[in-house]
Amino acid sequence: MKGTAYLRRYWQLYALLILPVSYFIVFKYGPMYGILIAFKDFNFFQGINGSEWIGFDGFREVFAMPDFYKVLRNTLMLNFLDLIVSFPAPLFLAIMLYELKIVWFKKLSQTILYIPHFISWVIIGGIVYQVFGTQSGMINNIITSIGFDAIPFLTDKKDWLITYLVVGVWQSAGWGTIIYLAALTGINKELFEAADVDGAGRLRKIWSITLPSLKPTIVTLLIINLGHMIAIGFERPYIIGNTAVRDYADVLSTFVYRIGIESGQYTIATVVGLFQAIVGLVFVLGANYTSKKLADQSIL
Amino acid sequence: MRDRHASRTFDAINTIAILFFVLLCLAPFIHIIAISLSSSRAIMSGEVSILPVEINWGAYEQVFSDMSMIRSLGFTVMLTVLFTVFCMLMSIAAAYPLAKTKLKGRKSVMFIIVITMFFSGGIIPEYMLVRNLNLLDSIWSLVLPGLISPFYLIILITFFQNIPDSLEESAEIDGSSYFRTLVSIIVPLSMPVIATLSLFYAVGRWNGFTDTLMYITSPEMYPLQLKLYQLVQNNMVSELMSAEGASGVQLLQPESLKAASVIFATVPILIVYPWLQRYFVSGVMLGAVKG
Amino acid sequence: MKPNKRGRKTASTLLTATLAGTMLISACSNSGGNEKANESTGGEAASGGKASTLKVEVFDRGNSPAGSSITKNYLTQFVQDKFGTPNNINVQFVPIPRSEEVQKLNVLMASGSDVPDIVFTYDSGTFYRYAQQGGLTDLGELLDQYGPNLKKFLGDETLAYGQYEGKQFALPAKRSHLGKYSSFVRQDWLEKLSLPVPTTTDELYATLKAFKEKDPGQTGGKVIPLGMSLAPAQYEPLIWSFIEPVTDEQRYTLTQQLGSRDYPVLLPGFKEALQFMNKLYNEGLMSADFSLDEDKKKLNEDAAKGLVGFFSEDDMNPFYPDGLYATLQKNIPDAKLSAVDVYTNSEGKHPKPEYAPIGMFLMIPKSSQHAVEAIKYLDWMASEGNLFDMQNGVEGENYTLQDGVPIVKADAADEVKNRIYNYGDMAIISNGKQLGDADKNVEAYVVGMPEAFQEETRKALSVSRSDTIKPVLFDRPIEAQAKYGTALLDKFNEIIVKTTMVKPDQFESTFESVMKDYMANGGQAILDERTKAYEAMK
Repeated sequence: MKGTAYLRRYWQLYALLILPVSYFIVFKYGPMYGILIAFKDFNFFQGINGSEWIGFDGFREVFAMPDFYKVLRNTLMLNFLDLIVSFPAPLFLAIMLYELKIVWFKKLSQTILYIPHFISWVIIGGIVYQVFGTQSGMINNIITSIGFDAIPFLTDKKDWLITYLVVGVWQSAGWGTIIYLAALTGINKELFEAADVDGAGRLRKIWSITLPSLKPTIVTLLIINLGHMIAIGFERPYIIGNTAVRDYADVLSTFVYRIGIESGQYTIATVVGLFQAIVGLVFVLGANYTSKKLADQSIL
Repeated sequence: MRDRHASRTFDAINTIAILFFVLLCLAPFIHIIAISLSSSRAIMSGEVSILPVEINWGAYEQVFSDMSMIRSLGFTVMLTVLFTVFCMLMSIAAAYPLAKTKLKGRKSVMFIIVITMFFSGGIIPEYMLVRNLNLLDSIWSLVLPGLISPFYLIILITFFQNIPDSLEESAEIDGSSYFRTLVSIIVPLSMPVIATLSLFYAVGRWNGFTDTLMYITSPEMYPLQLKLYQLVQNNMVSELMSAEGASGVQLLQPESLKAASVIFATVPILIVYPWLQRYFVSGVMLGAVKG
Repeated sequence: MKPNKRGRKTASTLLTATLAGTMLISACSNSGGNEKANESTGGEAASGGKASTLKVEVFDRGNSPAGSSITKNYLTQFVQDKFGTPNNINVQFVPIPRSEEVQKLNVLMASGSDVPDIVFTYDSGTFYRYAQQGGLTDLGELLDQYGPNLKKFLGDETLAYGQYEGKQFALPAKRSHLGKYSSFVRQDWLEKLSLPVPTTTDELYATLKAFKEKDPGQTGGKVIPLGMSLAPAQYEPLIWSFIEPVTDEQRYTLTQQLGSRDYPVLLPGFKEALQFMNKLYNEGLMSADFSLDEDKKKLNEDAAKGLVGFFSEDDMNPFYPDGLYATLQKNIPDAKLSAVDVYTNSEGKHPKPEYAPIGMFLMIPKSSQHAVEAIKYLDWMASEGNLFDMQNGVEGENYTLQDGVPIVKADAADEVKNRIYNYGDMAIISNGKQLGDADKNVEAYVVGMPEAFQEETRKALSVSRSDTIKPVLFDRPIEAQAKYGTALLDKFNEIIVKTTMVKPDQFESTFESVMKDYMANGGQAILDERTKAYEAMK
């Protein structure tokens, strides 16, 4: 097929792309020159163009900070734990919801399960202290009343990790089910009928019908998640974290906020951001490649 | 017989587990409602947990009599609808061609998009862009910069790719154009994911306010969440309290008012999902067509 | 369907063209925007007879009462009527969200446009940064020429804080009341146990012990003898009382200023203070979850429930209407809270920090075309009772005068009261009411409290003003402080939390390791720079 013929055949598809691609160019690539701040001694009044070049001095400064390696380690550690615990949680929950027989209960629980996603972290933080506090937290009140020692859920580093994960699952699992539930609507019901005829049990059906139909969604989410292993939200570690557990709770985002934004050192903030972006891109490309080889699915 | 018994046990355990989780998710929300209805004495003494203490509706009366809250609710609804519609139009337009793995240039476009998931220019050039486009202090500054989330776009592409090719090919044989195929086959078949992503976009816009802090200066265009944030956050910073507490600014807002405002700002978006749930049924049809 | 190479090429060319096209579009609108911006500034400069516009920042806290907005209310109208219109100036207020103030200001400064002519911040680091990067107008001459009243009002001591390398780059607001902290004890508990009011740290320790053992509040073992939190108001009075009397040199070099406060991390006595906290904590005399309580919420709750025997707090905080004391009395009708001055140093004094005599830093960006009008505005505010009117409203409606102290009319209608709801953010040249002398200023606070608490408020305020330690002011900025300050604040909290919460036998090793971490992350740099600056200043 000649080029013009190819175009005549597919021009509509390209036409559809014009606006979205323009959006990315204007709103995402337009401001991208801001990355230059990483290589400049940024002065607010000279602007990005007027500030002086410093080459890689900003990187050298960041890599020389003792705290940088600590927050980098913590970021990877918290994200890895999340990947093991919080990533599969919505999947399980979605399958459990899908298996519910009573329709009204199913719809009602779906709606309620995603409420925590709508409660702001500031408020969650207050509730977390009331629930997990050592002196008068609800859980510890129960533990001490049956004669055990209070557990410092918030002030001991290792116990805090559990608190962090539990709150994370609680806050996001219900919300995460929505996408899986959407995918589950695509299952051909006849497959279940056929399985019934074969006498397959419930777990068997989940394993061989439900899960496979979710595979594309799982793989896509997993790849994107891996790309974000080095990025971490600000609010959850910041709000649930506290001074006593800063050895674990201090992460890249809180580090950047403190050093970069609060102290007005935009060069440092940009350097860390750029570092995260490069590592993230490498991660996502690696995950994409692996998935293409292993599961014959990729996002690129 | 044994199978049916096992199946029943499964149902029972499953239902109880879900019920447990449901209660966990509901409790904090009920706690906030309880706070909103309690007296300030009871709240300050930490007596309120699940049930209101010394019940009164004063906080809600105050919220509902505050015209700026009502106006802000109206603006936020308008903004959210506008944003969601634009986002979905753009996302669908982008996802359909990009779902076709054989399309030439697809890889480059995907790469351009994936890059933006990681690299961004930062707050200063983004502000300059919005200013240079003359969007400052207009509703468009809250709509245009966030039109397509690469993450949601990739999800949409994944779903589009799972629609059996046979369906599309039959349309192509009919001589239908791509536009028509998209509108009459792809979109109807993808209602569950479209509903889901609309919800994601809508909720993201509803809950987001950091861009408002930068781009909006007219109080008439403050979304609800920004007003809420000011209410909750401004009083939280103890540093401010001690430095400015004496400067004659009324900083303290009653806790019940904050809680009532939280409820006021959250309930409208909470009811969107039950309403969207009807689109999750259309998947049945998809299954039927597939078979 | 097998497209050949050419097909592929055409397709990608098309794509490139699209991209180029959109780039062009954005480039066009870029320059369009700039032109417009230039036009408007040019227009303003050229117009002689037309009113000029003065843009003034105002904090938006989202608490505007119904019927008014942050940019349109009684006070904005007052300013326009009394200052703007007579001077042919259109005063425009630019709201900046209080909680993101510095970040928004940074962006506005970097964008070079839309910056108000008068901006302000409480953050000294931000002021130094702007001054250092050359973004502020030197106000020295302007002040002499257009701001005689203002200069007199602020005074040299206050103005010194706004200087950077000898130039007046900011005008700090003047603070009317410098006292910071007071302490409070449950008088009814003391009476119940027939104990005297503690007057020294040792006596306090005995009192706390008695509270713990005898539980006079009948809390069922939940008693918290010493209410503590991770906020300065609770730990600063304790810690500073342990600091040994120091020489001038020690004061300048060993103090560390983080944010707006001085911290005694390296001063002699700091370790002993922490050791005392460690002892109190391990003997169960202090709030167990204090490390989680950065906003004092838990402390307030415990105190309001009647569990706390003694605590330190911002001077008059417990006495506000519906505040801590009011709630406590609702819960326990015969509870009595007394303001006391207890923590004692080695000389028998009750030292505690006081505020620097300043409030916000008022700045005029270099890009401003209206520096003269800006100074005129501030000068107007400083003259002829204008400040008083902005802070107090209308006589007879908002307040009545008694011995030169305005008494707020509590029975005034809400619309009347709401007139001055944000006077602290509008009357920017002053922090607190200015009535001529410090005693009157304090009295203004006292009469603002509920009648039943006025006597204790007066006592608390006088506690907060006695034996105070002034902040250390250098004649030059300490750059390391601006750079590491916020990070070190967190480290400082870590020092307190970790050393307090360890078992006593691990105190030494913990103290050493947290101090090492503190010094390595900027503490040493600050020490070195301060030492050098002190040498140069001598």
